[in-house]
Amino acid sequence: MFNQINKSIDSAIGSGAQYADARILISKSRNISSKDGELEDFNNSENMGLGIRALVGSSWGFYATYDLSDKSLIEAGKKAYLIAKASSKVPGNDFPLADVPIVQDKYVTPHEQNPFKVSSTDQIDLLVSSTHEMKKLGSSIASGRLNFWDTEKWFGSSQGHEIYQNIIESGGGISSLSIGDGETQIRSYPQSFGEYRTGGWEVIQSFKFLDHVERLTEESKRLLTSPQCPEGTKDLILEGSQLALQIHESVGHAIELDRILGWEAAYAGTSHLQLNKLNEHRYGSTLMNIVADATLPGALATFKYDDEGTPAQRVDIVKEGIWTGVLTGRDSAAIAGVSPGGMVRADGYGRLPMVRMTNVGLLPGESSLEEIIASTDDGVYMETNRSWSIDDLRLNFQFGCEVGWLVKNGKITDMVKNPTYTGITPNFWGSMDMLAGKDEWVFWGTPNCGKGQPSQIGHTGHPASPARFKDVRIGVRG
Amino acid sequence: MKIWENLIEDTKKIIPSDVQCEIKMINSIDSLTRFANSHIHQNVEEEMTDLYLTFHSDGKTTNLNFNITSLGSIDEVVKKALSEIENNPKDSSWSGLASKENSYDGYRNLSPENPDLRAQKVKDFIDQGGSFNGAGYCSSNVSNVFVWNTNGLSSSDTATSAFLDGIFRSETSSGSSHLGHKTLENIDGEKVGQEAYSIAKESQNPQDIDPGVYEVILGPDAVSTILVFLAVYGFNAKSKVDGTSPIEIGTEQFDKKITLVDDPHKEGALNFKIDASGSPKAQTEIITNGVPKSYFHTRRTSTELNEKNTFHEMFGWGDSFGGLGTNLYLQPGGISKDEMISNVKKGIYINEFWYCRVLDPITQVVTGLNRNGSYLIENGKITKPVGRLRFTQSFMSSLGQGNVLGVGSENRFADSEFGEGILNVPMLHLKEFNFTGGVSG
Repeated sequence: MFNQINKSIDSAIGSGAQYADARILISKSRNISSKDGELEDFNNSENMGLGIRALVGSSWGFYATYDLSDKSLIEAGKKAYLIAKASSKVPGNDFPLADVPIVQDKYVTPHEQNPFKVSSTDQIDLLVSSTHEMKKLGSSIASGRLNFWDTEKWFGSSQGHEIYQNIIESGGGISSLSIGDGETQIRSYPQSFGEYRTGGWEVIQSFKFLDHVERLTEESKRLLTSPQCPEGTKDLILEGSQLALQIHESVGHAIELDRILGWEAAYAGTSHLQLNKLNEHRYGSTLMNIVADATLPGALATFKYDDEGTPAQRVDIVKEGIWTGVLTGRDSAAIAGVSPGGMVRADGYGRLPMVRMTNVGLLPGESSLEEIIASTDDGVYMETNRSWSIDDLRLNFQFGCEVGWLVKNGKITDMVKNPTYTGITPNFWGSMDMLAGKDEWVFWGTPNCGKGQPSQIGHTGHPASPARFKDVRIGVRG
Repeated sequence: MKIWENLIEDTKKIIPSDVQCEIKMINSIDSLTRFANSHIHQNVEEEMTDLYLTFHSDGKTTNLNFNITSLGSIDEVVKKALSEIENNPKDSSWSGLASKENSYDGYRNLSPENPDLRAQKVKDFIDQGGSFNGAGYCSSNVSNVFVWNTNGLSSSDTATSAFLDGIFRSETSSGSSHLGHKTLENIDGEKVGQEAYSIAKESQNPQDIDPGVYEVILGPDAVSTILVFLAVYGFNAKSKVDGTSPIEIGTEQFDKKITLVDDPHKEGALNFKIDASGSPKAQTEIITNGVPKSYFHTRRTSTELNEKNTFHEMFGWGDSFGGLGTNLYLQPGGISKDEMISNVKKGIYINEFWYCRVLDPITQVVTGLNRNGSYLIENGKITKPVGRLRFTQSFMSSLGQGNVLGVGSENRFADSEFGEGILNVPMLHLKEFNFTGGVSG
């Protein structure tokens, strides 16, 4: 494969590119969905191709093709150069690439059972039996899904990188939807849209779906007759998976250096963060310690090298509430004068690599959910995301959860439906006053992060444990 | 295309007579030139040929998806599929293959646009922005689709599209504009740039206003967001099958001024004239004078609801999604933008929505924000730009009876949360829209 990659790279450099790199990918995926005890969708997918990018002046040119013949690979290199060169009609300042080690290496995601070698009957049976049970217990729509990815990547560059990686990811989830009079209520496990990690079939087995079908069904039905979440300002306790999404939206995207530099301004937006405030800006309370760590075993965004050949690493993002780090690529890091953090990935061979969150997580505190609830006089505990929305500076957000629980005088009392909360990023994080510890720290994964044009879907990780936030506006309704 | 013809010839030789088989191929060249900080920084092109194969035998179904490189030998693929299918449970909602009579020949051998022309369109846009910071993209696409099945159906179609979408930003404001057409040469970069610049200029130094219920005028991109949510969560027949659709056919649920059709044959429509079953699409009334007339059906949903198929199956999407119209046209009214503004006593003009998410599909309560140009209108005149607002509003109610005060006279393709080129809409004047938060949360 590296011979083929080098044909394309040599062609781009020979045409005049100052730098070129290329990836050949063989990507396999399996998607299974079940509804009400029946198989709804079973799809095996496999594709293969090359994507090459060439740097000319201030612009990347990128060309992707499924045709891996020598002639096509040489043509692809030339096209990447010509596409980059066309950009010179509207040029910017030339930029260098930050230095990274030039390595030849290989890596395979540690796993016990490759999900593509496990019988599809076992996988289908797990979903069908789970959704059948929930339907039998009274769920209006019982649904489940499993997704597996096995991605082989060969990466080479004009600087001499030769890296092979085989990344294996597995995940899925189940949910019970109850339909009432003009409303729906849903409960999901392990989190909404499922939970995803690097690893094999053992990831799915660890979820033990069948142990949760009764609770999910009962709670989704009970929500229909529960009172609405009260409106007002209260203490808010967030369950880990909801806090993971809060981190993703209000921290993870805000610290992407390409956004801060304005490269995503027209679509995903920019950031409320300004580089000249790095190491000064207070992001949150002193309990807030965020790291971007692509080396966490089993987390969804764990790998050995990113799609620019930069080694995976752990980078401090927020230390004791102060903003200290950004997510970078070789180009953006060079412009900003910071070290490249190995945070550039692409969605398949056909997309240009771009800055992506790795495992951007909140380090655990020293409390526990039990202690947090016991020390709360008047609050709401919210579990499992249902809706999410945030502005393009990553400041003004509103989240909805599947279920809320009133907390009175240190005890959980009533279930409430349609819980929502809203806030402004630094104020919200500044109000975090209790944080659960390592025993409740989970490597939550998000498999559906959209960014870029053309659109790319990224897989990101967000370790988190439950936490409490003081005086948050809750119960916003239309 | 030779590659397609060869594949089908090989397949015909090896498919057992008791197996139903459908093969779809999407062949496309997608190109996109992206600019930020007023220069081109990313410029990409992808050529792809993806295959979607469905096999049905002994009441069971399996789906396989390859690109042409990873397909290898079709003989091996068929063997793998038939072996895999034995592991699957019965497919109770299998609704068959399209008939041979539905065959359609729309393939045209077209070449992609070149990157120099896209760069020129970007330059035309940026040149309108003065000292403001420009960002956005110019894209072009040629797509071919092919469908064959063991009933003898053989269909094909070709679609092209081009878009220019950009913003200008000042220190305190931003303004956007968007145009789409079948060909890049018909995109007027200067016009798009002038509109975005004008909005950004007029939006400088926005002031905060109190949240609350306001009259609103919505630009085409904001209108398309409302309609695409209703299309995906309401008119998609899969949501009706699931019991989560708020749409009741034949009931006057919307304002009489709302008439929506899906028409792939309308002059300038950008998307395919066949659906993923290979069957030709026809003009479909979706809402007529406020009354829902049809869901977007696939073979499966039409069987499950015992309704006529409207042929809205999507290429590349699984059965779990359902159907969606991709050539939607909201009937224009007769009111110009200036006249619409002059009709507002106190309200807000919203150019675009951003990051909209459904709180409950059955109520269609959605939360989201405004961006890229919003103004306060008082006594028929724009009085000042306004800052960030969060809304929490039922999209069903927003177009409900009596809430649509006016429909604009000019349509254009508009971007939406689910992509560009599927909605061609005018501006709308709505009586009430619920803003639940401002800059301070």
